[in-house]
Amino acid sequence: MMRRFFRSRGVRKLVRDRLAMVALGVISIYLALFFMMWCGFLVEKEETFERVGANTEVGFFEEPTIEQRLLYLEFYLDNLYSAADSRTPEASLAAIDLYGRLPTLTDPDAVIERIDPLWEVYDELVELYEDDAFSDDPESLPRLEELEAEAATLYTEPEGLMGRLALALGTDRQGRSIFLRALYSIKIAVQIGLVCALISVAIGTILGGAAAFFGGVVDHVIVWLYSTFSAIPYIVLLMVLAAMFLGSAFEGTLVPVYTAFCMTFWIAPCRVIRGEVMKLRELEYVQAATAVGFGRGRILLKHIIPNTTHLMFINFSLLFIGAIKAEVILSFLNLGVKNEPSWGVMIKQATQEVISGFFWQIGAATVFMFVLVLAFNVLSDALQDAFDPKHV
Amino acid sequence: MWTYILRRLLYSIPVYLGIVLLLMACLRVNDPVAGFLGKGASEEAYQAKKESMGLDRPFVVQYFDFLRQLVTFEFIKVPDEEVTASEDGGAAVLRSRGIESWSQEGRTVGQILRESIIPSISITVPALCFTLLISIVIALLSAYYRGRLPDKLMMVSAVLGMSISFLVYIIFGQYWAAYLLNQKLELEFFAVQGYEPGAANWAHYCLLPVLISTIVAMGYDTRFYRAVMVEESGRDYIITARAKGSTKRKIMFVHMLKNAMIPIITRVMSTLPFLVMGSILLEMYFNIPGMGRALLDSIFSNDFPVTQMLVAVFAGIFLVSVILTDVFYALVDPRVRLS
Amino acid sequence: MSKAAFEAGASSVDLTIEDPLLEVRDLKKYFPIRKGVFARHVGDVKAVDGISFRVRRNETLSLVGESGCGKTTAGRTLLRLLAPTGGSALYRPIPNGPQVDLFELSNAKMRGFRSDLQIIFQDPFASLNPRMPVSMIIGEALRVHGLARGAELEDRVSQLLERVGLRAEARNRFPHEFSGGQRQRIGIARALALNPRFIVCDEAVSALDVSIQAQIINLLKDLQEEFNLSFLFIAHDLSVVKYLSDRIAVMYLGRIVETGTTQDIFERAAHPYTQALLSAVPRPDPTLAKDRIVLQGDVPSPMNPPSGCHFRTRCPLAEDRCAETYPDYVRLSATHSAACHLIQPET
Repeated sequence: MMRRFFRSRGVRKLVRDRLAMVALGVISIYLALFFMMWCGFLVEKEETFERVGANTEVGFFEEPTIEQRLLYLEFYLDNLYSAADSRTPEASLAAIDLYGRLPTLTDPDAVIERIDPLWEVYDELVELYEDDAFSDDPESLPRLEELEAEAATLYTEPEGLMGRLALALGTDRQGRSIFLRALYSIKIAVQIGLVCALISVAIGTILGGAAAFFGGVVDHVIVWLYSTFSAIPYIVLLMVLAAMFLGSAFEGTLVPVYTAFCMTFWIAPCRVIRGEVMKLRELEYVQAATAVGFGRGRILLKHIIPNTTHLMFINFSLLFIGAIKAEVILSFLNLGVKNEPSWGVMIKQATQEVISGFFWQIGAATVFMFVLVLAFNVLSDALQDAFDPKHV
Repeated sequence: MWTYILRRLLYSIPVYLGIVLLLMACLRVNDPVAGFLGKGASEEAYQAKKESMGLDRPFVVQYFDFLRQLVTFEFIKVPDEEVTASEDGGAAVLRSRGIESWSQEGRTVGQILRESIIPSISITVPALCFTLLISIVIALLSAYYRGRLPDKLMMVSAVLGMSISFLVYIIFGQYWAAYLLNQKLELEFFAVQGYEPGAANWAHYCLLPVLISTIVAMGYDTRFYRAVMVEESGRDYIITARAKGSTKRKIMFVHMLKNAMIPIITRVMSTLPFLVMGSILLEMYFNIPGMGRALLDSIFSNDFPVTQMLVAVFAGIFLVSVILTDVFYALVDPRVRLS
Repeated sequence: MSKAAFEAGASSVDLTIEDPLLEVRDLKKYFPIRKGVFARHVGDVKAVDGISFRVRRNETLSLVGESGCGKTTAGRTLLRLLAPTGGSALYRPIPNGPQVDLFELSNAKMRGFRSDLQIIFQDPFASLNPRMPVSMIIGEALRVHGLARGAELEDRVSQLLERVGLRAEARNRFPHEFSGGQRQRIGIARALALNPRFIVCDEAVSALDVSIQAQIINLLKDLQEEFNLSFLFIAHDLSVVKYLSDRIAVMYLGRIVETGTTQDIFERAAHPYTQALLSAVPRPDPTLAKDRIVLQGDVPSPMNPPSGCHFRTRCPLAEDRCAETYPDYVRLSATHSAACHLIQPET
């Protein structure tokens, strides 16, 4: 069947569209990342909740302000100091792991000895800063840099690509790696997109095809069904359906999200496929199939539905986008993804940060999402141009 | 013609019944009373609440009673006090109840509806107007310069714009326009949040949400209108007009726009119900007490009667507007009438 | 219609035919008109309003008429691709054997007979499933009816393709890779696959270029001889029909107005409509006088046919009585009859 598909005119037209091929490439990259994460590579869920650095660290191309640098310093120093100073110093010190950055000194006393003088320098610099005298004193900046260099020697260098990229996009207000969270969100987004788009298209095709082909009561029932569902505004429907699960056993999993999306998204493909099948039903090769003596079920499955596959693909890509965007909104309203990071969750958490001028979390989530959604938009446009020239 | 309208109306009845059924079923999956009162409620309080709403009755009874409330427009009613002189002297009696909200003491759905409709409309209607104007202009320009740089630029911007979440526009919009701008100009041009009625206050409170809404919708609308224009421009009558010697501009504005109006207006009409409902997200973010926010609040505060009624009302408005759209389309396109 | 009346000449049927392969009696196909709020049934479009004919074994009966006269509907209703509103279709597969009314059969039983009764469509583009390769278009029928499988199936498909004038390699190609004429050949191969006895050719050559038409018609004629086929050849162009037909039935607005052998029709056309159709056939002889009969007006709507003779509104010879009653069939010879008030029987 695949061979037949690839030979068709539409596919050849699609392949010639270079932009579409680039989009397909981008999507494949995202899919590859998804698979790797699904199999446990790259980053796992727990790791996205680990602290990797100070709070709200900036990403790789932004220059942190003096105040921020002082705050970071405080964190890095205090992290080790309070561990060494605690009631179980050795254990606490050994437990410190900033995603591959381990303390270089394992002996608590040595740690305290190293950091004590650093605290003095730190306090002086802070005092200078608070008195607004920091910029006046030419010595302050070099001293700060020296302090930072010292602090850096207290931690080992992270190994591996992930370790080094962990701080590339900064950290959120709880010190978690934005890069890792944004990356993991790909897994969630692709998962939701695939599941919901596939199921919605499947349901929509079956119902739409049956409605158009068998007509009569079946058609009336299915049209009534989708008229009913589509009369409730889509956000409201999503919310009501997701809210249904609050307090139930499924809360916290993705089941409410899947249910809400599938029950909302099946309508569009159903309408489209129904319209197409109604058109195809009248075509002569369908009549020929009847004349040859095929049963109706066989005609529907083998002759009509395969001629709607182009519409299924188009709808699939449109619904995929819809699912990702709707997930953002649902998560923002606390009805979507709960126990793991997703772009919606990140954006929700970022709203507070934006006010203080910190854009890394929202930026990362937006950019990662933007690339995927854009690629799918381009692809679905190209699909429509290639297969369904009369589209809007 | 009238038979068509009548038939549409008749057909909508089972659809609406289905909606109400679906709605009521969904909302009762989680016990609404338990959700509202929380876990620590006493047995008597639980029972009392349940009875006050009639939730102890069988579902079928509740279903028909709810329909009755809808048909008699009970959701519009506002608590009406009537002072009657009694033996003790001066006791207020509530005459008509309406449907009381659980979480907002003493307020009914009617009150909520009446109060929230204006804020919603003051955002959605101007947004619609702006979007319509700007999108059509851009679409016309795109069709005019079809295939050349301006067209490509506009369409690329549209696709780019469509790929960013609505929320991100809201967040950034609020940050830049309201927050930063206020700092730079040292005055409160755009309100960061909130709402006050009155035309004078409109620009301050509503203009920003309107602008954000417009920018987001423009991406989709422009592409749609452009496609409509492009399809029109390929039609034979346009070629005839050119052959006759009309200028390109005249063709565009006189011929094409007129015929493209039908799908455009149809589409605009299909967005009518959303005008009333307001954008939930905008209202939530900018703290505007509109219908969408009312619905959101009711869901999050487990305010069962309000949620149930608001969604039913929204759905009703939606159905009516669908019928209106179909009727309009039938008026304009004679082929539909004859079917 | 009773058998007696049928035989007595109250119909258009050729009486010389005994033991027909297929006998159609009073075939009706109405499409309901619904008006009003509740879509009440207020009337009917009488697409086919009671036609009768017989088809012999190994013969071609052509059904001719303008667009909209109901001939395509008749062909499809005959095969139960549309649900018949009335009448019967008596099929007698074995010579002088028992006959069965196709319209009385259940769906399941009808499927058993479908391999005998096939159809070739007009539109070479819409009649083949664009997603299926030719081998499947032709072969699926064989597989489903259990007639062949595997290598045997492949052979049979190749055989059929070669018989209709295509190369066996065409098997693996898709419809869009062929020209219109080639696609019609594929359609013919598909119709032949189940070894039918009777094929409805629904304007099978109308959509083709004239030169290709001739090829296809020749092919059909050869196939008819080789496989002992009967055709119901539906067309709107009399000139196309002349070479292939044994007998011709002319339809107008859902009814047969004249029927006879090819010679009867071309040399002795009796009904004014047939005469008008004939006069429109271009003849490559400049010496012949141009006596074209041009019909006035448009074809009336089948929803509301004229009273009396349906043709009277356009007939150049119409009289008053033509508006009053529908004309009976006048039997001009054993093979030739026409429904017109103005004809005198020859014998």
